[in-house]
Amino acid sequence: MTDPIAAVRSAFPDAVRASAVYRQTPILTLQAADLLAVGRFLRDTPELGYDLLSDLTVVDRLRLPQAQDEARFAGIYQLRSVARGGDLLQLTVPLPGGDAPVAPSVTGLWPTADWHEREAFDLFGVRYEGHPDLRRILMPDDWPTHPLRKDQPLGGERVPYTNTWAEEEFQHLGKQIMQTDQRPEPVPGRMDARHMIVNMGPQHPATHGVLRLIVELDGERIIGIQPDIGYLHSGFEKQGENIRYKDFVYYTDRMDYVSAMQNNLAYCLAVEKLLGIEAPPRAQAIRVIVCELQRIASHLVWLATHTLDVGGTGLALLMYAFREREEILDLFEMVCGARLTTSYLRVGGVSHDLPPAFIPRLRDLLARLPGRFDEYERMLSGSPLWRGRLMGIGKITAAQAIAWGVTGPLLRGAGVPYDLRKAQPYCGYEQYDFSIPVQSEGDSYARYLVRMAEMRQSLRIIQQAVDALPAGHFWIDDPKIAPPARGLLDQSMEALIHHFKLFTEGFRPPPGQAYHGIEASKGEMGVFLVSDGSAHPYRCRVRTPSFVNLQVTELMAKGHLFSDLVTVIGTIDIVLGDVDR
Amino acid sequence: MSIVLLSILKSLALIILLLTGFAYLTYYERKLLARFHVRRGPNRAGPFGLLQPIADAVKAIFKEEIVPGHVDKLIYIVAPALSLIPALVIFAVIPIAPDLRLGGFTLQFHVADINVGLLYLAAIASVATYGIILGGWSSNNNYALLGSLRTAAQMISYELPFGLLLAAIILTTNIGREAGTLSLIEILNQPRPWWLWLWLWLAFPMFFITMLAESNRSPFDLPETENELIAGFQVEYGGIKFALFFMAEYISMITGSAIMATLFFGGWRGPFADPGTWYGPIVGFGWFFLKVVALLFVYIWVRASVPRIRYDQLLQFCWKVLTPLSIGYLVLTALIVVFVG
Repeated sequence: MTDPIAAVRSAFPDAVRASAVYRQTPILTLQAADLLAVGRFLRDTPELGYDLLSDLTVVDRLRLPQAQDEARFAGIYQLRSVARGGDLLQLTVPLPGGDAPVAPSVTGLWPTADWHEREAFDLFGVRYEGHPDLRRILMPDDWPTHPLRKDQPLGGERVPYTNTWAEEEFQHLGKQIMQTDQRPEPVPGRMDARHMIVNMGPQHPATHGVLRLIVELDGERIIGIQPDIGYLHSGFEKQGENIRYKDFVYYTDRMDYVSAMQNNLAYCLAVEKLLGIEAPPRAQAIRVIVCELQRIASHLVWLATHTLDVGGTGLALLMYAFREREEILDLFEMVCGARLTTSYLRVGGVSHDLPPAFIPRLRDLLARLPGRFDEYERMLSGSPLWRGRLMGIGKITAAQAIAWGVTGPLLRGAGVPYDLRKAQPYCGYEQYDFSIPVQSEGDSYARYLVRMAEMRQSLRIIQQAVDALPAGHFWIDDPKIAPPARGLLDQSMEALIHHFKLFTEGFRPPPGQAYHGIEASKGEMGVFLVSDGSAHPYRCRVRTPSFVNLQVTELMAKGHLFSDLVTVIGTIDIVLGDVDR
Repeated sequence: MSIVLLSILKSLALIILLLTGFAYLTYYERKLLARFHVRRGPNRAGPFGLLQPIADAVKAIFKEEIVPGHVDKLIYIVAPALSLIPALVIFAVIPIAPDLRLGGFTLQFHVADINVGLLYLAAIASVATYGIILGGWSSNNNYALLGSLRTAAQMISYELPFGLLLAAIILTTNIGREAGTLSLIEILNQPRPWWLWLWLWLAFPMFFITMLAESNRSPFDLPETENELIAGFQVEYGGIKFALFFMAEYISMITGSAIMATLFFGGWRGPFADPGTWYGPIVGFGWFFLKVVALLFVYIWVRASVPRIRYDQLLQFCWKVLTPLSIGYLVLTALIVVFVG
């Protein structure tokens, strides 16, 4: 295996300003001017092959004591090499320009950077030179500030309501029904007004939430799509930078709200990486069990809504899939009392041990689910109509998928056996015997098959984890991180003090930075944290799979019929909470 | 004079029957779909939710009438009626029970026995398309426009196999007779040899598919496709005008089932449905009702288990599979009629 730091140092002796390995992740600090050249070298050198840009973000180091003398903004690039098993390399690029930073756009190297750079422009005001379409993406177009900058306070900012009754434009917007001649023409710049422009969403049954697609149609054939997101943007990252580490777990639930457990896991693992701790074996096994259950639950929601989109509202499979999901949610309710926003995982473990009745009920469910999956497959795979709707629709090649940063079942449906559970095992996934389902066609049907097979593999993992569930602590035995048991508080003064300190101050990771990605049900869910040594994260960045995967909508749907757009959105499996955050 | 009066009375009775049938068909569908979906379905209004259709009707009637500013008002208002009237009118030629003879007076349980009954069916079924196309066109909405364009293509395409299969059935009325008939009542009164029944049932699946397409039912509900076109041609309609479109769709389901029951399953015929007796009409209507309900069950069953087909696939299926098959069926029927009859 080639050491990326040594390789870059030898090829570009002047470009590297610093290098380090922190918590097993090599970090290269580059000059902005050399970013494109080094990036091309990292991507195209066969021994390195960093072809997947997992994450691109920016840190505002205005108040970071460890970096006082450097440029204010630094671009952070998380690169992975798919061929070499998802090896991670972090590039840190101090951006010139002081308060108006400028960076070279890497969209030419990794097209996936498109939306990432728009987001960084939106939230930090970094101007990416060479970006094809640098506009705001999450915030409204007329927003006056860049909210993630450190000199922007949390809350209290002036919200620019430009619409008042005095304005002529709002006069007709305020009325429910407009006259034809008053309707604004929703034709974005690069679309041809001679075609039919259909505005799909933000209120549309098939967009799975508040996603807006401006679709350019020739007859029923799709010529262009322009997604418009941000309707559900809640500023979770800003929020996370203003609360203590342990308190952000509850926010992660609300991102991809159909797989809360996995969001919890990504965040907890990132904090644990920052702290340099590891959860006890029992907690690891419990995490695996609940996360795989969550994967099944999430895929069931996907299956239900996908059949709903493709097959019509009458189709009975919708309710069948929800019936099974209900049983999984019942299990979640047993372990933590919540069903959807579970917040079950904690930094260093899980919040409660498994109740005694959990294992028998889980085993009962494990025995029943394979038969149910068979039933779904008989109903769908056996139907020529279903195959006709899915086969050949939304094709994406392996090379396209990697270039666009697409992960999860979309990538595996395109023939790339890449799964972070195998590539970069966490939570002891290396102990379990399971396979990665792969299909080579890259169409919606391939992704359907991959997800169906993944549910069965998850069952296998859960079965093994339950059979070999270790005894011991379910939360790390460190009073600085996990609260002491309730009984101890009545007997031990020390325990009481620990409890008090933990809940009033929280814990303080050492200064540093850590990115951790997990294989969530929709793809790579990654959390990047920068610690300045205080009890709050200095920078809290969440890389969500839906945001990245949604970018390929146009690529997948172009040239297909309008009906297929619904199939394409369904097959990407987005959750808008995950997209907008 | 009394004939006119009688016809008006019969028409009124038929309309009331159909509208009630529509109301309880929605209840039947919702309950049945709920069963397929492992749900309970409507169960709050009245015992077993039986008052649900009435509650729905009251709600639809008392909703605020909204006519969006950007629509073509006249056509927009006329379209729902244009779509409902053919669905109602088509039932006039379908006999729902055997004749009742009381003394010298004969009461026939159909509004009109016109000698071109089957032609009438085909003609009126085509007219029903106008309501949907005009509704979508006048709405001035992209979704509605796409929906109505799909309707135009779909309904016109499926007229073809529908007509061909009807022609085959008309041909069979020649067997053993000097001249055939186009009247549904006549067809019902003609005895059919057993092998002819089998031969006709062979065409039933094809005919059923064309009826699904004609009444815009799943998996051919492309004009509305709630998941992509939101509600297609009816997207700008609300309140009672929406309910009229809804009525048209459901009544055309009932009509379709009635036509199929009459053509393929002997209509009101069944044990103890003897014409001329006092109990004949009651038993006959019972058989007719049962057959229609059973066919409606198939409609709903299909909806719960078959994914929707895509627009281009629908047309391909019609032109490449269904039309050649029905042409083949027509030719074979003609040969049978010539050589056997």
